[in-house]
Order: sequence, then C-alpha cells, then structure tokens
Amino acid sequence: MMEAYIQAYNEAVFETDKNAALAVVNSALAAGISPENIVFQLIIPAVESMMARIEKDPDSNLAQHFMTAQIAADVTERMLAKFSSPPNIVGKVVIGAAYGDLHSLGKRIVMGCLKSLMVEVIDLGVNVTAENFVQEAIAHQAQVIAISAMMVHTATSELGSLKVRRLLQAQNLEDKIKIAVGGAPYRFDPTLYIKVGADAWAPDGVTAAKMIVNLINAVQA
Amino acid sequence: MTPLDILTAASMGNPAPRIPVFCNLLDQGAALLKLSPKAYFANGQYVAEAQLQLLQRYGHDNVWSLHYVGKEAELLGCQKILFADNGVPNVEDFVIKTLDDIPKFEVPDDITLHPAWQSIAECMAILRKEVGHTHPICAYLTASTTLPAILMGMDKWMELFLLGPFDLRDELIRKCSIFFQKHLVALKAAGANVLIYASPFGSPYFLSLPQIRKDILPWMIQDLQGVDRAGLVYYCGMAPFNAVIDLVFDELAISTHYISPLADLAEAKRLINTRGLMCGVIDDIKMIHWSTSQTRDEVKRIIDIGKPGGHFLFGTGVMPLSIPEENIRAMLAAAFEYGAWL
Repeated sequence: MMEAYIQAYNEAVFETDKNAALAVVNSALAAGISPENIVFQLIIPAVESMMARIEKDPDSNLAQHFMTAQIAADVTERMLAKFSSPPNIVGKVVIGAAYGDLHSLGKRIVMGCLKSLMVEVIDLGVNVTAENFVQEAIAHQAQVIAISAMMVHTATSELGSLKVRRLLQAQNLEDKIKIAVGGAPYRFDPTLYIKVGADAWAPDGVTAAKMIVNLINAVQA
Repeated sequence: MTPLDILTAASMGNPAPRIPVFCNLLDQGAALLKLSPKAYFANGQYVAEAQLQLLQRYGHDNVWSLHYVGKEAELLGCQKILFADNGVPNVEDFVIKTLDDIPKFEVPDDITLHPAWQSIAECMAILRKEVGHTHPICAYLTASTTLPAILMGMDKWMELFLLGPFDLRDELIRKCSIFFQKHLVALKAAGANVLIYASPFGSPYFLSLPQIRKDILPWMIQDLQGVDRAGLVYYCGMAPFNAVIDLVFDELAISTHYISPLADLAEAKRLINTRGLMCGVIDDIKMIHWSTSQTRDEVKRIIDIGKPGGHFLFGTGVMPLSIPEENIRAMLAAAFEYGAWL
C-alpha cells in the first residue's frame, strides 16, 4: 500500500503538482497511517527514490528539483508537529552561499531535502565568510559544511571553500568536518570541487542532499 | 571582408575566409585599464575603450554593449550592485522584496532617460562610431519570464512561478515584457546589431517541455511581437536547450542558436543544419585550469562538429577573469586556424 502512495506522491512531485502531492499525504493520513510513518515510510523513501530518478535522468529539470524539496520540507514540517516524540536526527550541516555570492535557490533545494531526511540544517544565509562557516560548524558540532556558489569567482575564490579548507586544516578538524560544494560552475567542470578543496560535490540540489548524508555517515563511522 | 560581413556570410551560408569567432571579454576590460570593476562599469567610455583595445589585442569579431547581470535591474530601480574585484557583479538590492511590491512595480516610460542608461549610451556611441560599420555589437536582453529572477531572487521567482499567486506572477511577467520591448528598441537605436535573447526559463533544464509550451512560450511570443528577427539570438544562460530548437524555429522564428557547452553539439547541428546559424560554445570554466593544448583540442572538437556545411560560428560563455591569458590566445588562434575555409 505504501508503495502505491510513494509512487503517486513522486509522480505528483515530478509533475511539479504540489496540490496532488499533498492530496496523497492527506489520503495516507485519512487511511490511518501515522505522521511518523508518513515521514519515514512515505516522504523519506519518496525523496530517496526521487534522488535515484534524478541521478539516472539527466533530463530532469530545476522545477522538479525545487518542488521535490519544497513539498518534502513542507510535509515533513507539518508531520513533525504531530509526532508523539522528537525524531532522531541523522546529523548536522551548516549551509550557506559562498563569500560574495547572493544566490539562494540551490541552497534552498538542498535544505528542503535535508530536512525531510532528518538532517538538522543550520542556514547561515548568503555571502558567508569562511570564518563564519567554520565557527558555526564547530559551535553546532556539524559534520558537514555545505557551500553553494553560483559564480566562478565565488566558487574559486581564495576567500571561499579554499579558505574553509585551510581553517579546518589549521584546527585539525578535517576528519570531523567535511566540505560539500555545489552550484553552476561545478556542473561545467566536474573536477572543480577538488581544486577548491572540497570533499564532494553534486550536480543538483536533490542529489546534493544524498551526498551530504553520505559525508555525515563517513564522519560518524 | 569585415567581421560583420563574415557574420552575414555565415548566416546566409555564403563563402567567407573563415567562420565568425566571438569572444566575450566584458570583465577583462577592468583589469586591462587597471580599474576596479565598479569604477570601470560606471563609465561607458572605459568599457568601450577597453573593448576596442581587447579587439586590437586578440582580433576576435565582436564587442559588447556595457552589460553585467543586474544592469537591467538598475534600469528598473535596483539601488545596489555587489561588485567583486575578481568576477562578475551581482544584484544585492532586490527591486521586489515582497509580493506586495509587484502591483507597485513600474516600468519607466523612457528607459533612455534613466541614470543607469547613460553609461550604456556612452559606451554604445563610441563603439558605434569606431567599429559599428565593421563589427557586430552585441547586447543582452533578458526575457520577461526570466527577468523577475533578477528583480526578486531566483528562489522567490521559482516559488512564485510554480506555486503562485498566478495573477501576480502574470502581472510581473507582463510588466517585464513591456520593459523587454523598450530595452530592445533602445539598444537597437543605440547601435546594437546582435541581440542576445536570454531566456533560461525557455530551457528544458529549467522547466518541462509542457510547462515551456504552456507558461513560457506565450510570453516569449509576446516579448517578440513586432520585433525584426534579424540579429536575434536564442540563448538560455548556458543551459542546454536542444529539445526546444524546433519550437524556437517554428513558434518564435529565431534562427540563430547559442548552444550550451553542456548540450550535445552534434545533435544541435543536425537539428539546425542549414536553416539557421549555430554557435558552438567552449566550456570556458574548464579553460581556467586547462593547458593551452587542451584548449586547442577542445576548439578543434567544436569546430570539427559545427563547421561542415557552414552556418556556424564559434563562441564563448562569460569568460571568467581567472582564465590564463595564454588560454585566451590559444583558443582564438585555434578558432582562426580550424575555422578557416580552405
């Protein structure tokens, strides 16, 4: 039964039809499925299924990525309010747009997916300094610093992820905090993440969430 | 033949000594004149002078009207641009901060009277006088369905576009379409003869084909109502758009296509063939770290695909400032060499 809900939900998301996706969730609730099971047996598998679909389908589009995150985050927030006890979180990530960068769409997509995957997200906003990324990661005991950059100069700047790497090295934190990057320049040069000192990258916001969860798991292993 | 003649020959499929070679060196000008980007872009004479010097230095075929992302937003009331010493300027002040701003948002009656236009006018006057009769002068115009992203931020625009309220969405696009037409008329009057129609929301990378047909195409038709298609170039902000090439021919009657480096260029060539002009675009982000021989190899690959049968030009993306100069020279030398018609 849950498979049918997952399929119907994902079809609605793939068609960027939020109302249809919410109708699936409401049907599941009406059928007696608990908010906990909605999140863990419907939303999370649906997001993971969408990640797999997007990874295999290079023709998936930005609107689909946006709606995947938007709907999942919205539903998760509503369901969390109904949980009988707070859920266990998978890990923590601090996220922001690189220093000098004011773009926020990619970050928003990643955040939406991460929240639905039970990752605690600390949003540092846009135009974030390297020092702020590292300070906040330490303060929140985050396993990952996620840096979005939509412009070449903010991706490659000495004041961006390269400086975050230097700060982590200086404080001997490289095993405890990993760096994830994403944004348009990385799509054009898939090896760029190495040159800017990151541990991993993803070509879109939805698969970025999966990559970040993998980094969290690697730190916690 | 002048570069303008060579471009015309490529469009028509007529004989020419070589293919046109376009290179966008907007940001390199500030470094050339040893100015900060803010000071450089504030003065149209600087931008024109730098581009003329770069034309002399590199010998490519085109120049640009003064442009950076955000210039159109300034014409519509943006008060602050974030300039960087090492890259492109960025919109810092959004004209539309809340949905309540959309009904109040107004397009100036005459954009050429706006203070933000004056540096463009200065730049264009010089370029037109110096090279207007010999070289293509490019100008950038953002489509009405994409311009709101610059006015309110991409994530808020995507949310409004997909989730509504749709009456406000359509009101904003309608106003942006009015601006587009005024902008186009002003740039043509100033001397621009290659008009880049930037329509990322008209790319399947952004939206599905049914969404493009239903929600974008009618506005693109509106943008281009009464517009002479000569010199008009379809461009999706470096996003691939092979899947809409036929649509662009059939519904918009635009026959020049600026193909993303992420697209299948051979497929685009098959789709466009001799019914229009195709620009093969190098991935200039990779050029930051490539060797000169890697750069040459990629230019050859692109030209090998695009040149047979003609109707082809070579071009670049935004050419980041961090590309080593030897790679710019290697790219252009290879483009002239492999682009020659023997």
